[in-house]
Amino acid sequence: MKEIKKTFKWFTVAKYEEEQEYLRQEHQAGWKLVKVSLLGIYTFEKCEPEDVIYQLDYNQEREKGMAEYIQMFRDCGWEYICDFVGYSYFRKAASKMKEDETIFSDDSSRLEMIGRVFKGRMVPLLIIFAAIICPQLIANSMHSSGVGRGLFIAYCCLFFLYVLIFIQWAVMYWKLKNKK
Amino acid sequence: MDAHIKKVYVPMTETGFYILLCLQKEMHGYGIVQKVSEMTNGEILLSPGTMYGSLSKMEKDGLIRFVAEEEKRKIYHITDLGREVLQLEMKRIERLYRNMREELQ
Repeated sequence: MKEIKKTFKWFTVAKYEEEQEYLRQEHQAGWKLVKVSLLGIYTFEKCEPEDVIYQLDYNQEREKGMAEYIQMFRDCGWEYICDFVGYSYFRKAASKMKEDETIFSDDSSRLEMIGRVFKGRMVPLLIIFAAIICPQLIANSMHSSGVGRGLFIAYCCLFFLYVLIFIQWAVMYWKLKNKK
Repeated sequence: MDAHIKKVYVPMTETGFYILLCLQKEMHGYGIVQKVSEMTNGEILLSPGTMYGSLSKMEKDGLIRFVAEEEKRKIYHITDLGREVLQLEMKRIERLYRNMREELQ
């Protein structure tokens, strides 16, 4: 039976690069990713320490043919690991690369992926923010005690959490757009 | 050709250009990756995320069409619209090249 460890780590939608780096570090320490599950629980399996590059793709088109999607990556030397909330996880040993290789060879296709993530993940968040969190925050702001006060505080927390996610997204997008 | 296609594909990315160039013959995605690597002495290595994204986008926009599937690999072929776009791009690149040579003399 292989040794397994589980970690809990939360990366917001804009922090996929940090997530890739985290998975690489775990593999360097002798833990290879097996799967990602609900709320950000990462399951690793003990392995030989190795420098392995992890990459995340986001492409809903893959649902038209998952086998073909995975095959394209396999042909290019990338091993498919799992899916988690729309992201697909791939890895490839650094020793098998010519130079720094990623799953995107030009900036325009990388930006297109970010566009797909925006449509698939950020638009729903923006809708929840505008249609539920903001109106509820205002509606509950009148209460000075009791349940209403509790709700107000809860919505306040959500409000700041969402604002944080939006800021992180904006920073990530700006960096990518202006990268030299 | 409608304005949207022209806006998105003229001028197009190097990846997009090589895809259309290769798909004048029926080919699958990885076949294109190999062909481009050959044509450029290994200098251009197209990545799978880029290839998959470009192929699905071009298929949706009608520049290429799905022909058949072989061992989990989708084979595509250029359409008439794709040829039109490729012609426009070739003319643009020829002009670029001509002007470059003239200015160098």
